[in-house]
Amino acid sequence: MTENKDSDDIAFHQLKQLERILECDPLINEVGFIHPSQFAALDDEIVGSDKSVAHSIPQSVDEFISTNLDANDLQHDSSIFWIRDHKLAISTEALFHLYNAAKHAFMAALTQQKMVDSLCRKTDKSLNKKVTDDNTGPDIFLESEVMNHSKALLLLSCDNGTAWNSRKLICSKKQCLSLLMDELLFSALILSYAPKSESAWSHRRWVIKAIDGKYPKFEDVVERESELVEKIAERSKMNYRAWNHRCWLITYMTKEQVINQLQNSRKWAELHVGDSSCFHYRQLLLQRMLKHCSRFDVYHVRKEELEWNEMLIKRYIGREALWVHRRFLSQLGSRPFRSEAEKEPYVVSNQDNINMNNFISSEMQLLHSCLSISDNDFEDIQSQGVFAASYILWMFKFFNLRQQLHNSQLTVLEDMPRVMGELKMALNKLCPEKTLLWEDQVISRIM
Amino acid sequence: MDLLSGELEVEKHVKYILSIEKKKDSFESVAMEHLRMNGAYWGLTTLDLLGKIETVDQDEVISWVMQCQHESGGFAGNVGHDPHILYTLSAVQVLALFDKLDVLDVDKLSDCILWLNFMEKNAATFSPCLLDRKLDICGLQNEDGSFSGDIWGEVDTRFSYIAICCLSLLHRLDKINTEKAVEYIVSCQNLDGGFGCTPGGESHAGQIFCCVSALAITGSLYHIDKDLLGWWLCERQLKSGGLNGRPEKLPDVCYSWWVLTSLILIDRVHWIDKVKLARFILDCQDKENGGISDRPDDAVDVFHTYFGVAGLSLLEYPGLKAIDPAHALPVDVINKIFFDRK
Repeated sequence: MTENKDSDDIAFHQLKQLERILECDPLINEVGFIHPSQFAALDDEIVGSDKSVAHSIPQSVDEFISTNLDANDLQHDSSIFWIRDHKLAISTEALFHLYNAAKHAFMAALTQQKMVDSLCRKTDKSLNKKVTDDNTGPDIFLESEVMNHSKALLLLSCDNGTAWNSRKLICSKKQCLSLLMDELLFSALILSYAPKSESAWSHRRWVIKAIDGKYPKFEDVVERESELVEKIAERSKMNYRAWNHRCWLITYMTKEQVINQLQNSRKWAELHVGDSSCFHYRQLLLQRMLKHCSRFDVYHVRKEELEWNEMLIKRYIGREALWVHRRFLSQLGSRPFRSEAEKEPYVVSNQDNINMNNFISSEMQLLHSCLSISDNDFEDIQSQGVFAASYILWMFKFFNLRQQLHNSQLTVLEDMPRVMGELKMALNKLCPEKTLLWEDQVISRIM
Repeated sequence: MDLLSGELEVEKHVKYILSIEKKKDSFESVAMEHLRMNGAYWGLTTLDLLGKIETVDQDEVISWVMQCQHESGGFAGNVGHDPHILYTLSAVQVLALFDKLDVLDVDKLSDCILWLNFMEKNAATFSPCLLDRKLDICGLQNEDGSFSGDIWGEVDTRFSYIAICCLSLLHRLDKINTEKAVEYIVSCQNLDGGFGCTPGGESHAGQIFCCVSALAITGSLYHIDKDLLGWWLCERQLKSGGLNGRPEKLPDVCYSWWVLTSLILIDRVHWIDKVKLARFILDCQDKENGGISDRPDDAVDVFHTYFGVAGLSLLEYPGLKAIDPAHALPVDVINKIFFDRK
């Protein structure tokens, strides 16, 4: 019993240390959990690296005094915490007790805060209307307790929704811009070690919605947010949550930003051809950019993207993400605009027919160049053949609809039975496990 | 499937699931306690599919579930936590497993869900007085037909599914504007036939399950181009037999559920190799200590154990109870809810 109490006390003391560390250095931008035996290696790394950055937080007693911090406050158990250059490491050995201490402290503070709140509501006078001259009320104290404990708790368990909510509640009561901006810093810290944390991304969306219209340079916030996603996507491959967040940002972007993003993401995509999410992001940007553009503009933008995609397809053999993107491009300019087309009957011009014929001919050429090498035993080369043939089959199924819709005259399609026969043979040979799919699709196309 | 019969380590999986509750001495287990309600659903449904749900103390479970109910009517992931629609569905499903939906104040709970559908667009910036009101009522369809997950306003097609599934289980679908809800889900469909979290969101097998199931429950599957979506879904099967959730990803047992249910609901399951998939799931078992992992030789967890067993059930693996793909509950439980109404 006493032993338990002792270890609880120790854990609580450690929690206090953690909270002090977080309070004294609000610019901590990276956190990691490592075995204490690795702390020494961290020190070595720092010695070996550029020392000029090591001064961004107070390192000496003199500096502590000059920055008005109490040196004693930053004293922490160096077998548990390691901190330098705004990087924090926590010993994996301490996590269990530290988590329990943080959870209990947070839950206790939250319960008290709720009690005070409901008391205020009952007596119908808010104890904390604004942060006025009186900064010492019980509610103010409890709020800071909730903020400190939830911070520590989230650092240890990043998807604890209750802890995130408690922070949102305090922020919305205070209506204070700097508090909201701090939340962006803090959630970025969480994402530094938990890049897929859904709650942290969601928290950021909540903050951004809250500062929209209040922050003077909102464009910059959007810009920085997009950069953050890119930074995280660099380290965390195929991160759905991160890219979903970036897609969400598009609605807040100016026209210029959309164009810039298209340019910048092109370079990124070339270096990450397997990251399908980046191509999806481009698809949304393209759709947004072309929303109010002429048919002529759409044609040229699409053509350029198709050429770029083909170059990548030929350079990186057998990448599904590139072919998925191509499927989208094959439809760009038609289906997304179908609802508009329905309002105003789309007149197919001669030029449209020529463009379409040229497009399909060049796609058939691409197919043949991919199939001609697919006899090779290398898996990537075989995959390339499957992706190419299924792309063409998929596209024809789609053009079937389009043809009905616009009644175009496509001479390339007259030879359809032969093309279908060829596709079926290639697919059955290269990907026999999906024979039933190929059979069904080819039959439904011919009919 | 009969060829693979006997390879599922039923007893060991039961033992594994029952052991999870006792393991509370590691950081990994306690740090997940905020979503214990989901864990309870995954564990208990697995036990039921394996025919072993009587091994748990029903009263103990139900009394804990009810302690997680918030005054608003919604459920939290654990006692003392904030309610969220994610945990509300799990709570309803757990009660359904034990045929105990009658302990719920059904109207209060469905009002709460309804409210999640009627929140003001700018939930992000509401004033404290609005907040008080919201905390008191709590109920969640928005103007465009979408649903928020809680009072903080995040919108996601997952929440649409949860609201629709929950209300369907409670016989209260008439409380929401299903036409609007369906309209929103359809607006999240992409050119590849799949669905994302919000309009324009990237297609993801998990989101597709939610959208297809919600459309199935509301009788709206005609909105889907089945060949187009079916094609995308069956391209999730990789050479190993396992399924991934999006292009270029590794296979993962959990997609056995999300992809397979969707293929079944749109009647295109014959486009994948079912035996190879069953083989993949069985290879992800921990044959010594029970439990199923995401991929062969990885560490097991209750989440993947549920999705593995539920996937095998969909594949009609011998000896397992059948599961309803849209409501994610055993068929006998669903039959009791829809056909044995007192």
